[in-house]
Amino acid sequence: MGREHGAKSGAVLVVGGGVAGVQAALDLAEMGFHVYLVEKSASIGGAMARLDKTFPTNDCAL
Amino acid sequence: MDQDSFKPKILGFLCNWCCYAAADSAGVGRYQYPPNLRTIRLMCTGRIDPMFIIEGFACGADGIFAGG
Amino acid sequence: MTNATLESLEGEAGKFTAKVHRLPRFINEDLCTACGVCTMYCPVLVSDTYNEELAITRAPHKDYPQAVPASFYIDPKKCLFLNYETCQICIPTCQAKAIDFSQKEERLDLSVGAVILAPGFGRISDKVLARYGYGRFPDVVTSLEFERIMCASGPSRGEIIRPSDGKHPQKIAFLQCIGSRDITSGNGYCSSVCCMYAVKEATVVKEHAPDVDISIFYMDMRTAGKGFDASRQRARDTHHLRFIRSRVAEVRERGDKLRLSYADSEGNHKEDDFDMVVLSVGLESPEDAQSLAVTAGIKLNQYDFCDTKAFLPLDASRPGVYVAGAFQGPKDIPESVMQAIGSAAAAAEILHEARGTEVIRKEYPSEMGIAEEPRIGVFVCHCGINIGGVVNVSEVASYARTLKDVVSVDDSLYSCSQDSQKVIKDAIKEHNLNRVVVAACTPRTHEPLFQETLRDIGLNRSLFEMVNIRDQCSWVHAHEPKEATAKAKDLVRMAVAKARLLYPLPEQTVPVIPKALVIGGGIAGMTAALSIAEQGFECFLVENSAQLGGNLRRLKTTLTGEDPGQLLNEVETRARNHPRIKVYTNTQVENVSGYIGNFASTLSTETGSEVIEHGVVVVATGGREHRLKKYLYGQSKHVLTQLELEEILSSPEKAKKINEVVMIQCAGSRGDDLSYCSKLCCGQAVKNALRLKELNPAASIYVLYRDVRTYGFMEDYYREAREKGVVFINYEKENPPVVMPNDDKITVEFMDVLLGEKVKLEPDLVTLSVGIVPNEVEELAKLLKIPLTQENFFLEAHVKLRPVEMAVSGVYVCGLAHSPKPIDESISQARAAAGKACVPLSKGFVAVEPIVSSVGKDKCIGCGICESLCPYKAIHLIKVDKKKKAETITASCKGCGICASHCPTLAISMGGFTNEEIMAQIRAFGEC
Repeated sequence: MGREHGAKSGAVLVVGGGVAGVQAALDLAEMGFHVYLVEKSASIGGAMARLDKTFPTNDCAL
Repeated sequence: MDQDSFKPKILGFLCNWCCYAAADSAGVGRYQYPPNLRTIRLMCTGRIDPMFIIEGFACGADGIFAGG
Repeated sequence: MTNATLESLEGEAGKFTAKVHRLPRFINEDLCTACGVCTMYCPVLVSDTYNEELAITRAPHKDYPQAVPASFYIDPKKCLFLNYETCQICIPTCQAKAIDFSQKEERLDLSVGAVILAPGFGRISDKVLARYGYGRFPDVVTSLEFERIMCASGPSRGEIIRPSDGKHPQKIAFLQCIGSRDITSGNGYCSSVCCMYAVKEATVVKEHAPDVDISIFYMDMRTAGKGFDASRQRARDTHHLRFIRSRVAEVRERGDKLRLSYADSEGNHKEDDFDMVVLSVGLESPEDAQSLAVTAGIKLNQYDFCDTKAFLPLDASRPGVYVAGAFQGPKDIPESVMQAIGSAAAAAEILHEARGTEVIRKEYPSEMGIAEEPRIGVFVCHCGINIGGVVNVSEVASYARTLKDVVSVDDSLYSCSQDSQKVIKDAIKEHNLNRVVVAACTPRTHEPLFQETLRDIGLNRSLFEMVNIRDQCSWVHAHEPKEATAKAKDLVRMAVAKARLLYPLPEQTVPVIPKALVIGGGIAGMTAALSIAEQGFECFLVENSAQLGGNLRRLKTTLTGEDPGQLLNEVETRARNHPRIKVYTNTQVENVSGYIGNFASTLSTETGSEVIEHGVVVVATGGREHRLKKYLYGQSKHVLTQLELEEILSSPEKAKKINEVVMIQCAGSRGDDLSYCSKLCCGQAVKNALRLKELNPAASIYVLYRDVRTYGFMEDYYREAREKGVVFINYEKENPPVVMPNDDKITVEFMDVLLGEKVKLEPDLVTLSVGIVPNEVEELAKLLKIPLTQENFFLEAHVKLRPVEMAVSGVYVCGLAHSPKPIDESISQARAAAGKACVPLSKGFVAVEPIVSSVGKDKCIGCGICESLCPYKAIHLIKVDKKKKAETITASCKGCGICASHCPTLAISMGGFTNEEIMAQIRAFGEC
């Protein structure tokens, strides 16, 4: 990747594409890091995507 | 007036963040509704100047819908 | 990377090598347009896991309509070709030619500096659920299944029906703590989220069908989070939910009903029949927790969740590996989001030198000048059959050709595809287009893509307008092709009318001063300051008292056995000696002016005032124990708060003299002086009770409570306290305990519900759990123009998804200033606030969408209506040639247009939404 040997990597691995994983990945990208987001199923979103609405505001979860 | 023959022209002002998004979701969910609505997307219903409403009626709208 | 798992993690913090195994989707993501035709033709039925197997889909599918990535995939376990090499019917049905059975699994070696684990949670085993009839009785469902049943996009389209006969249930029971707080199921902990979702689900049912009778069987209602108690109360009162404090012993079938047996709070055996039973299932550790722990080289706790320490809640046991979300312990969405941002900050702390080294930046050609005369290109999309199947696209295209100033029209099968972008670019060049209109799907998802195409060819992105003829036309008028086509034409005409008036808007950025101001020097403030400094930025840490530490100074122990004194020492030493942190004690923030990127604040210190410049603000002003005038507090020396008791317990000699203590929970909280629950008092009471039992095992301890809210792993300590003989007695809000003076002593009288009689005790001490109030912040909130809640806590931008940001850009909140919370949550939130604060600091600039307002100085009369109305503090009056004129602070403007619609002289113009543009749209609407 063209980095000198021994230097720290500017990339971060995020395991899990639920709300926590996606949030962490977005923030790292915004902070200037390359992010690999690894999700074992076929789509990100995790459990939150299955919720109809959320407590306490009953906002839509999607 | 016969309710079935009345086909009103409705102009809608939709907020990008809520009502416009909801209208998109209605499409994703394949909800069916009458095809009388024509919409204008705004970044917020706070953008609606009363003159938009007046102009809408002046241009022949039978009803105006502000969704935000 | 979807369908991917971590296989190994070698190396050390800063330079790991991660091996990732990725399985094929068999559908090319770049080509798939998510039209769904393949699903229609596939002959194989597959149960739909997204809908908790309550519905059926087919081998090629996507999990749900809004799934990301938006492309479909083929279930390799079910596909006939992948298993038996037959069929392949989907290949010819795909017009986009996206189906690709030649895709192979891949193994990738990734060089990364840090790892964040967020695998979520697992399901409670069917064996546990079977005790409540799950699996045997179809109308016993889990809360997740019920969630899908209620959902408009779920298997019954949102109609609440019983799985057995499709009838509407009239009487529903929710059973709490299924697979939680139950050592027989292996889960001694509390899952922390079920009380909230049960109330939510019950509320949604009631909104659908107000006559349904709902009972919630619970042990303690643990709605402890910010604003949660108020919501539960509201739900109970408006919807008449029945709350029954009892654990249901058995579920039996009785005709077409389900019979529950339980014991009520007085100990009487009861039975009741219901149409449907919802099991509020807890959060289990993820199924693959153990293998993930081995792969990632981290330790798990006794329940197979990631092991962390109270003061380092985001750090897994291996350096450079962080954790976020339910894998760290059961938690709700806001808490997960906070941890996620916090763990991102933690990774940024160790990798800040390498920031930006691996980011790919894009270059654009310089913008071409445009001719005065509009030359508009219109591109109409078929979206496969999604639009073309309903709307007559070629008719719309021919109609567009007749419109004024339209010089080029094209239609394409998929206008979002790569080759269509080339068609658009070629048309711009060939016809010298200076406005582009695309009629396709929704601008909310696709506008950036087309704007990018414009920028690639050197056209300003504001010269673009999109028409939504799919989501808001063909999809919703699927059976009325004529009307849908007419609507599409009208919408195109309106868009062209607007496009004629579009003009290029500058891409604006505002530079950011790479420094932060942290207000408040407690554990939250110090943690935030250290994180910001470790991420490479200078930080001013301002504390109004004489020393750093805040409430942490008064803590002697924690429930989990850590030493708060040591933490304070370490953190304070690091903060005071950090080269990038400047600490101010005895200092107040007098004034704050400016906006994100460019704040100037006046500090009044002991030696005078000082003005500092900074790009962001973190508010960590903290809170303190409430002081109440009840239960003889302040009148009798026998009545103490929990913190005062903690002080006494730090001396074993004094502790040994205490033989009997009565603790009163929610003293002054939850509907008394304070409306809310302070979240941490139950844990504090259990901690002090256990500490006293340790020092004086013979001591009698009575805890009078309304609900014991030892959520998460705190539950273990609550159980331990009960096992060690601490007596917990429930009281109702309407019938609180009474504390009376009794010569030099004190008497407590309360109702024991189980005994059914009043009990009088003469304890050595009465300890009150008094709750937390925020420190005085009205002035500061006014300075920053940030709204407070009714209770004077800072109000976050979004309760769930933006828990540390506030309505004003560049200001963040953490710790007790946000809401009462235990120390580990304050630390997570502080790191999250630091993470969000470092986003603008790392970028060095704030990018502004061109939709912001701008003021025509000639027309402005300086009336100030706009300034008073702006919810974002984004427009203000300045003096120009001795006259007041409004001016937009572009960095703060969100483009809502409230200022423009209220300006009496029409002096304010909104980028991309000018009065003229909107009026042109309205007039074009009138032409139909």
